[in-house]
Amino acid sequence: MTELELRLEELGRELAFPPAPDLAPAVLERTMRRPFFWGRVAVAVAVAAALSAALAVPQARTAILRFFHLGGATVVRVETLPRTTERSRATGLGSPVTLTQAERRAGSRLELPPGQRPARAFVLGDSLVTVVLRTDGKTVLLSEFPSLGPGSLRKLTAAEASVQPVRVDGAEALWIEGPHAFEYFGRNGFAQAPVRVRGNVLLWTHGPLTLRLEGRLTMEQALALARRTR
Amino acid sequence: MERARRGDLDAWETIVRTHQGLAFRTAYLLAGNAGDAEEAAQDGFVKAHRALGRFRRGAELRPWLLRIVANEARNRRRSAVRRERLALRAAGEVRPGDAVPSPEAALLAGEQRERLLAAVEALPDEHRDAIACRYLLGLTEAETAAALGVRAGTVKSRLSRALARLRETLAEEGEA
Repeated sequence: MTELELRLEELGRELAFPPAPDLAPAVLERTMRRPFFWGRVAVAVAVAAALSAALAVPQARTAILRFFHLGGATVVRVETLPRTTERSRATGLGSPVTLTQAERRAGSRLELPPGQRPARAFVLGDSLVTVVLRTDGKTVLLSEFPSLGPGSLRKLTAAEASVQPVRVDGAEALWIEGPHAFEYFGRNGFAQAPVRVRGNVLLWTHGPLTLRLEGRLTMEQALALARRTR
Repeated sequence: MERARRGDLDAWETIVRTHQGLAFRTAYLLAGNAGDAEEAAQDGFVKAHRALGRFRRGAELRPWLLRIVANEARNRRRSAVRRERLALRAAGEVRPGDAVPSPEAALLAGEQRERLLAAVEALPDEHRDAIACRYLLGLTEAETAAALGVRAGTVKSRLSRALARLRETLAEEGEA
């Protein structure tokens, strides 16, 4: 380094910079106003709606502890879960249709594990398609909807529930264990009341779809099934 | 960083607190005033958080953050009416560990620094910014390139031309 360069470095040490403000509180406050997302397009309107909906539920108003955003789904960790209902076996999954009809209504081909193509599917809010599968001796629900479509899924997790980031074929995913509820907002203002979830849930994205696997599977079983789902 | 990417706000807060001082000083030198620098640094961190998903794993965090903050700062300078003049710390301020010079030596060193600072301020913007990032802030060449949004080779050539210009100016003023 030349003498002039050394003098410039010394000059830098002698500069009177204004005192650096503590930026962290303002940055964090602004960060909390927006969902966290992993490189996917943020659907700000959907999340603002999710936030305002969460705030509108008295039981959930205690505190929103954290946001996670994945595809068309938002996971909101709250201190207290809102009042939920048990999912009705008859109608809780939506209207029963054939797989072909479900794909037509969802606007995309359903992704399924190899060898599993059930005769029936259920459509909720015109865009959330669910099929019932058997795997590892257990019944599980596989739900799919377009990440950038009209629908958005919101999961509310209690503080004691665990939300663990995992990966499915290199893509970010979330594994949720413990008390939580989910709501679905579909086309034309469709909104499903919060439904209590009994099992564990894996959320992931593949291509344009957000997928959700619910059942009493272990994380390893769920991840294995997700990796086979194409 | 991985925790921050997964949505851990505590981890993100640690990152902000670790880098906010340098981010603010970088923004100050590029934007030209403290108000714009604070806004630029704050907006930069918020945008960086939104872009965490695009941060390449294994890449260095500091140049990436500086690129975002510096871009905000440069945008503000374009619309700024004027840039605050850089100033040196008061002569009486001594950093811990500094030797205390004689009054005559301190006066002479102070005058030389003032001349050097004036010469830096008189450089064209792109040369001044390169000198400010590389030497006044002590950034690496790669970080300087990131902050200025140019290639490392461009930084080298700008620094070379800026240093030559400074030598000429100082020589004209009687300094070797």
